[in-house]
Amino acid sequence: MIQFEKIILKNGLSVIVHTDRSTPFVAVNVCYNVGSKHENPERTGFAHLFEHLTFAGSVHVPDFDTEVQRAGGANNAFTSNDLTNYYITLPANNIETALWLESDRMLGPKFSKRGLEVQKKVVIEEFRQRNLNKPYGDVWHLLRDLAYKVHPYRWPTIGLVPEHIASATLGEVKDFFFHHYAPNNAVLVISGNISSVEAFRLTEKWFGDIPTQEIEPYRGQTEPKQLADRELTVCRDVPIDTFYVAWHMGGRSERNFYVLDLLSDILSNGSSSRFEVKLVKEQKLFTEADAYLSGENEPGLFVATGKASPGIDIHLAREKMLEEILMTTKTTISDYELEKVKNRVEADLLLNEIGYLEKAIQLSSFEIMGDASEINKQGEQYRDITASDLLDAASQLFREGNRNTLNYLSLQNSQK
Amino acid sequence: MSPFRKIAPAVHSVDKIDFIEPQHLLLQGGTSFFTLYGGTQEVVKLDFSFKAGTWYESSKLESLMAASMISEGTTGKTAREIADRIDFYGAQLHSVPYYDNNYVSLLSLKKHLPHLLPLLAEIIKDASFPEHEFEISRQKRKQRALVDAEKVGLVTQRSFLRSVMGAGHPYAPVPSPETYDAVTLEGAKSHYRRHYYSGNATLFASGDVDEAVQKMIIENFGSGWGTPFPFKNDQPVATSSQEKYLFIERESANQNAITIGKRVPTQHHPDSAGLKLLTTIFGGYFGSRLMSNLREEKGLTYGIHASVVSFVRDALFMIHAEVTAEKTEEAIKEIFFEMQRLREELVPETELAPLRSFLLGRMLEDFDGPFARAQSFSSLYEAELEVGYFDKIIYAIKSTTPEQIRELARTYFDPASMYTVVAGKR
Repeated sequence: MIQFEKIILKNGLSVIVHTDRSTPFVAVNVCYNVGSKHENPERTGFAHLFEHLTFAGSVHVPDFDTEVQRAGGANNAFTSNDLTNYYITLPANNIETALWLESDRMLGPKFSKRGLEVQKKVVIEEFRQRNLNKPYGDVWHLLRDLAYKVHPYRWPTIGLVPEHIASATLGEVKDFFFHHYAPNNAVLVISGNISSVEAFRLTEKWFGDIPTQEIEPYRGQTEPKQLADRELTVCRDVPIDTFYVAWHMGGRSERNFYVLDLLSDILSNGSSSRFEVKLVKEQKLFTEADAYLSGENEPGLFVATGKASPGIDIHLAREKMLEEILMTTKTTISDYELEKVKNRVEADLLLNEIGYLEKAIQLSSFEIMGDASEINKQGEQYRDITASDLLDAASQLFREGNRNTLNYLSLQNSQK
Repeated sequence: MSPFRKIAPAVHSVDKIDFIEPQHLLLQGGTSFFTLYGGTQEVVKLDFSFKAGTWYESSKLESLMAASMISEGTTGKTAREIADRIDFYGAQLHSVPYYDNNYVSLLSLKKHLPHLLPLLAEIIKDASFPEHEFEISRQKRKQRALVDAEKVGLVTQRSFLRSVMGAGHPYAPVPSPETYDAVTLEGAKSHYRRHYYSGNATLFASGDVDEAVQKMIIENFGSGWGTPFPFKNDQPVATSSQEKYLFIERESANQNAITIGKRVPTQHHPDSAGLKLLTTIFGGYFGSRLMSNLREEKGLTYGIHASVVSFVRDALFMIHAEVTAEKTEEAIKEIFFEMQRLREELVPETELAPLRSFLLGRMLEDFDGPFARAQSFSSLYEAELEVGYFDKIIYAIKSTTPEQIRELARTYFDPASMYTVVAGKR
């Protein structure tokens, strides 16, 4: 149970405080309801590029990082398909430095043409390092493009191509800021060694006078129901054949999300999971096999993947994995196996309640989805799941026509 | 907008870090048992460390394969039975090989310990090394090595280690994925028998380790197990490569990886704390010289880092970055330019002051909560250092002068002493 208090400032900023006296630190976490799904399809990668730009200083602060360091703190940020999240951790008695910086970031970054040119280069290097120059680095570009036809989850956060980033202009940057970075489009979470009274007082002082902005409406289109299976095969300079199979599932706040999360655990979480026991150890078809949820807020993907053992045909391996997956639509899970995966979730949820920063980030993302108190209902959501829920969810998910298969083959193997 | 925004809020410096040592008990079987009580949840973490890393191998990969076979079967239980029990109680079990020490750790809810501690004891004391599991594990690791061999960043870092330490050095990574074909079950098993015994183990228990938990731990691990092995620290001295520049061709790369560095004194040397500070100024944090120049000024790279990597018996200074192939020469030139600048100019106090505060904050973080404290103390004891070492680090952070920093740069940042490894396109 994560205890917290919440208020909403007059300018629309939601503020959540969680007190944790076991640490000498506090985290100041600001989460904006803007991610790559809010981007123009011709300018993908923009939200993430923008995150880089906000570190170059703001209206009253020439150098963000030096100020954080001076206060003994550390800071970072991440952008996802759904949101952009900034955080500063620092000794609790220096919290005002963090509030000063984050409120100034919200007021307005210091945009310069030079700063933009440099950060465009940095982000393109990041694109190369993570996606273009790394074995299997373009898997999610291919898979998203295969699975989504209209929804903006079609592209990854880094962007569709480096050219989109290269062509961003200063005018677009400013425009993006005023349409998305505003108190009425953000959540502030303060967690750690501070009372809620003090935290709310300081929040009012630093964030109270930031003006509300008109937020650009979200234009993401709902992905139409997929009716026919899709398959794409690519050959790349990689050492091992692999595949990714993805099925469309529901959104993060639906009950089924929890059911399917448990289903993915049954298939592949831990050394006693079905994939590990049957596909890796017994049949030796794979050296690694995995099933997981892409985990976005809006309807996302349920993914199964594996690396074939040496000498094993990848298509055969994939068919065997699909057989194992389809078993979940036919056979009811035993009480023992259900209890096992629930125990694992119980432990994981408790471990998630240890770090003050992790708690702040989780509270923010639940609040962005609509309600931070959902964080404390997760345990119950998982506990209530029955064997027949799993059977139903699996049957819906793995229906014919809902499948997207990416075969990712090794150029070297195919030339042998 | 309010005028007060123009002025930075007053900041307080970190003035107190609690270095109180964990409670220590020498168990009957010779295991050193440390307890760090604390935390907010009913969770316990057990960390065993054995002097069983690559340093102690008689041939390559034995340590890695021995570690991978812990939890893959005991005389009385199959790998599957073990996995099933660990998963049933929602615990996390990790067996991790490293250079000096290998680790076995268990993270569990306190309430499940009565079931899990006897199992953990059985796994550690009585691993049976079944052939079937060994082969599966070896294949999996070889495949990972094949993928890693395609990552230019890992390629340069590993080649760098082999160049500086000498390819035959026990810390040097294996030359190619094919090395995995040579490691044998017998080799891994005898590595386990020699090094995973009670007198060679240190145990840290952190979190909600109350008296009942301590008692349970002693019941399971108090008396001796295994046979002491007389390991003589007489590993052959490997010689560093004569060649200071190495280029590894990767035709298809669209980014080149660069690793530059050299051997430096270990943590026992009086310069060690100051050298760490110098390295941080140079490339150890976001505002470092290298990040400011290569990333924030020129946009040459997504990230560039310099660090001192400490082993028990060695230490390395290492710079690493990945850059567009065409910019490789420019990046290397800038790295040496920044090195030279530190040898010539004094670091201004305007740069040092925020860095000192930043590092004190990180130090405070290293002691925040029982798990972080366990990690800090276990590294300290592993390196055979006294608790006073932490005070030395703090003193170095607070008091090293710009003149001393320049002197350290003159001693350790001699460009002629550096090894350079590049992988990618010419």
